[in-house]
Amino acid sequence: MMNGNEAVARGAFEAGVKVAAGFPGTPSTEVMDYTHQRYPDIYCEWSTNEKVAVEVAIGASFAGYRSLALMKTVGLHVAADALGGAAGSQINGGLVLVVSDDVGRLAGDDYNDCRHYGNMFGLPMLEPGDSQEAKDFMVKAFEISEEYSTPVILKLTSVTCKTNSRVVIDEDCTYEAKCREKYPISFSKVIMTTIMMKAKGSEHPKLTKCFNDFPAHYKRLTNNCNDYDINQLELNGKKIGIITAGTPYYYAKEVLPEASFLKLGLIMPLPEKKIRELAEHVEELYVIEDGHDILEKNIKDLGISVIGKELWPKFPEMTRFTPDIIEEKLVPGAPKRTPIKDVPFRLPVSCAGCSHLFIAQILRKNKIRAAADVTCGLIGCFPHMEAYDLQKCMGSSIALAHGYNVAKDNKENFVAMIGDGGFWATGLAGLTNLIFNNSQSTVIVVDNSCLAMTGGQNVASSEFGFNYKPENKLDIAKVCEAIGVKDIVTVDAYEYDNLEKSILNAVNAKTNSVVIVKKPCVTKFKLPKNTPSYIDQDLCVKCGKCIKVGCLAIESKKAQDGSVDIVINQDICTGCGLCSTVCHKEAIKQ
Amino acid sequence: MQDTGKNIIIAGVGGQGILLFSNLLSKFYLKLGYELKISDVIGLGQRGGGVESHFRYSDKPILSPFIKAGDVDYVISFEQTETLRYLHCLKDDGIVLSSTYELTSTSVNTGLQKAMPESKTEIIKRAENKKFIIDPEDHKSPDFNISKMMNVVMLGFYAELRGYSHDDMIQIVRESVPEKFVEGNIMAYQKGTEIAKAEIAAD
Ligand SMILES: Cc1ncc(C[n+]2csc(CCOP(=O)(O)OP(=O)(O)O)c2C)c(N)n1
Ligand code: SF4
Ligand code: SF4
Repeated sequence: MMNGNEAVARGAFEAGVKVAAGFPGTPSTEVMDYTHQRYPDIYCEWSTNEKVAVEVAIGASFAGYRSLALMKTVGLHVAADALGGAAGSQINGGLVLVVSDDVGRLAGDDYNDCRHYGNMFGLPMLEPGDSQEAKDFMVKAFEISEEYSTPVILKLTSVTCKTNSRVVIDEDCTYEAKCREKYPISFSKVIMTTIMMKAKGSEHPKLTKCFNDFPAHYKRLTNNCNDYDINQLELNGKKIGIITAGTPYYYAKEVLPEASFLKLGLIMPLPEKKIRELAEHVEELYVIEDGHDILEKNIKDLGISVIGKELWPKFPEMTRFTPDIIEEKLVPGAPKRTPIKDVPFRLPVSCAGCSHLFIAQILRKNKIRAAADVTCGLIGCFPHMEAYDLQKCMGSSIALAHGYNVAKDNKENFVAMIGDGGFWATGLAGLTNLIFNNSQSTVIVVDNSCLAMTGGQNVASSEFGFNYKPENKLDIAKVCEAIGVKDIVTVDAYEYDNLEKSILNAVNAKTNSVVIVKKPCVTKFKLPKNTPSYIDQDLCVKCGKCIKVGCLAIESKKAQDGSVDIVINQDICTGCGLCSTVCHKEAIKQ
Repeated sequence: MQDTGKNIIIAGVGGQGILLFSNLLSKFYLKLGYELKISDVIGLGQRGGGVESHFRYSDKPILSPFIKAGDVDYVISFEQTETLRYLHCLKDDGIVLSSTYELTSTSVNTGLQKAMPESKTEIIKRAENKKFIIDPEDHKSPDFNISKMMNVVMLGFYAELRGYSHDDMIQIVRESVPEKFVEGNIMAYQKGTEIAKAEIAAD
C-alpha cells in the first residue's frame, strides 16, 4: 500500500533521478520526505522557493542527470519564469516537474490549475489516477522528457496524493543514475525562434548549432500519443462516452460501468485519433475533469463537441468531482441523500501556545494595522480573530506594507508580519526593496525555525534539515543588518510585555525596523508544556474576550442547564499564559 | 457468507489518531487478502479541523477513492459533530459507531455560527440506522487515557462487532505502535472489546 506521494518518490527512484529540489506545499510535500528517507542515493533539497527549485533541477538536467522539481500549483506561479526558460530548449537528463493541484480545497488554499502552464508553454503533462499510476507515470514522464527534449509536468491532486492503494513494485529494481549529455548547449527559445522566423543570416552554423526544433518534437509526440497505452480507450456502451483523467475516471467508472471511456494518462498533448474514435462510437460525449475546463477547451479546439461545464458548472459551484455529482446528472432517478442541516463547520485554528497568537493579540490590542503573509499566522485574518487587514501570497507582506506606506506618505506605519519561511522565500527581496527605496515600514519576522504550516520543513535559518551544517546556517538578524535595516530587535514570543514594547517601539520609531520574534513552533518541536490554565467559573462573566485570542484550547461548552460556559480544554492547553493577559476579571488561572 | 467488502467512513478531528486507526485496519484487511483504497482528507488549518478517511476494502479491484453517499456500511466517528456530517451517507442497513466526545466547532466558539439547538447525541439516537454510541466518560480507566486512545478502543469495539480475531488485531497493534506504548494500547483495545460485548448483549 502506498499513497500517491510515496508512489511518486518510488517512481523517482526507479527512474534513476539524481537531483530532487522543491518547496513544500500541501498536498504533495511528502514526496520529498519519502524520497529523502527511503532513497538516500537521490540528492534532495528544500530550496528557498519554487523558482530556485526549478532552476536547480534545470541545472542538474543540463549536467546530464534526471532531475525533478516539486511544488504545489501556487508555487509554479513563482517558478513560471524558470519553467518558461526551459520549455522548448534542449534537455539532457530528463526534467520533470511534480506539481499538485489542491482540487476542491481538500487541504489548502487555492483554486488554481497547473494545466494552464502546459498549454502556455507547450509542455507534455501526465495525470495519474491512483498510486500505481503515480509511480509508473513518473518513469514515463522522464522517458518522454528525454525522447522529446522537453520538460514534463506530472500533475497530482489532493486526492491522488492522499489516497492509499496497492502498488506493484519490482523488488529487484536497483538504482542507477545515468548521465546523458546529448547537447553541449541549451538556451532559451530566443535563438530558436530567430531561426524559425528565417531572419537574415539565421542559417549561420553558429546559430543553427543552437537550434532545437521544439514544435517538431511536440508534433511527433502528438502523433505518437495515439498509441500510448496510458491513453486507455474502452469502447463499451454506445450511449454515453466519457473523456476523463486522474481520479475522476474512477468515480465515473463506478457510477457508469456500462459507459465508454477514454482515460487520458497523457493529458497534453491530446490523442486526437482516439478522441474521434470515441466520439464516433457514442451518442453523448462528456468531459469529466477536476479543476478548470482545460481538457474541455482543448478538445473543443480540435473541433470535437463535448459536454462539460454547461452540465457541471465549475468554480464556485464545484471545484472537484465526486461520484455523487456524476450520478446526479447522468443516472436518471438515482436516490438523493441530503445531509443533516446546520452542522457547524470548522474554521481553522492555531495550535495552543503558538507564537503567532501572541503577535496577533498585541496587534489587535494596540489597533496596529498589518499585513499577514502566508504562514500559520494567517489564521489571524479569519473573522474570529480580526488581527490583520491585508493578506495575499507567500512572501508578499513586506512589499505590501511598503506599498501601503508610500501611498500614505509614510504617515501611518502599516506593519508586515512574515514567517521565517516566507522571509527567505521571497520576503527578502521585499525587504531589500524596502530599504533602498527609503521606506519606514516595520517588519515582524516570526522565527519559529521552520515552515510550520506545511508540517515543519527546514529553512535557511533552521538548525536541522537535509543538508544542514551549523556553519551554513543563516542568521536573520545579521542579514537584516547587512541589508541596512536601521532598527533590529530579537524577542522571545512568550515574554509578553517585552514583545509588546518592542513592537510598539518599532512602530513608533519612524524608520525601517525589524522585530524578530523567536519561539520554535510548539507543534513541530513538541515544546514542553506548562501547567494548563483554567477558568474560574465564579469569576468569569462570559465576555468572550479570551476567545478572540484564537487558541484551540479555549472552548465554549454548553452546560447542563443550557447556559454556555467558556472553558479551557486541559488536554490541549500548553499553559502559555496568553489568554490570562486579556481577562479583565482575572478569571483565568494557572 | 463470505464478506466481499465494505465501505467505511472514519471521521473525527485532528489529533484523534484517525490515521493510525485506518492504518491498523488496513494491515488487518491486507492480511486477509483484500484490495484496499483509503483516502485521507484532512481539513484546512493546522488544528481543530475535521479529519475524514474513506476506507474501502473489497475482494474485487476498487475504483473510486471516495464513497458515494448512500453506499457507506459503517460510519466510525470519534467526535459527534463529525458523526452528524456523515449520517446521511449510510446505507439503510449501515451501522454507526460514534463517540459522544465533542470538540465545539471554532465557528460556534467564536459566535460566527449558532450551536445546534438539540443535543447531538439525541440526533444520532434518532437515526434509523443501527447505532452504537460510546461515551468515553463512562469508560475511564486508570491504565490509559481514554480521551487520547479512543482510536484503539474503537478498533477493539469494531473488531468485536465484526467477529474478527482479536489475536490477529492485537498482533498488528503490537507491530505498529512504538514499544513503550504497546501495553497501554492493548489495554485500550481490550476495553473496546468489553464495551462492545456489553453493548451487543444489550442490543
Ligand atoms: C508560493 C507558495 N509556495 C508554497 C506555499 C505553501 N505554504 C503555505 S504556508 C507555507 C509555510 C510558511 O512557513 P513560514 O513562512 O515559516 O510560516 P510559519 O507557518 O512557519 O509560521 C508554505 C510553504 C504557498 N502557499 N505558496
Ligand atoms: S504548527 Fe506551529 S506555527 Fe503553526 S499554528 Fe501550530 S504551533 Fe503555530
Ligand atoms: S494558556 Fe490560554 S492561550 Fe495559552 S494554551 Fe492555554 S488556553 Fe491557550
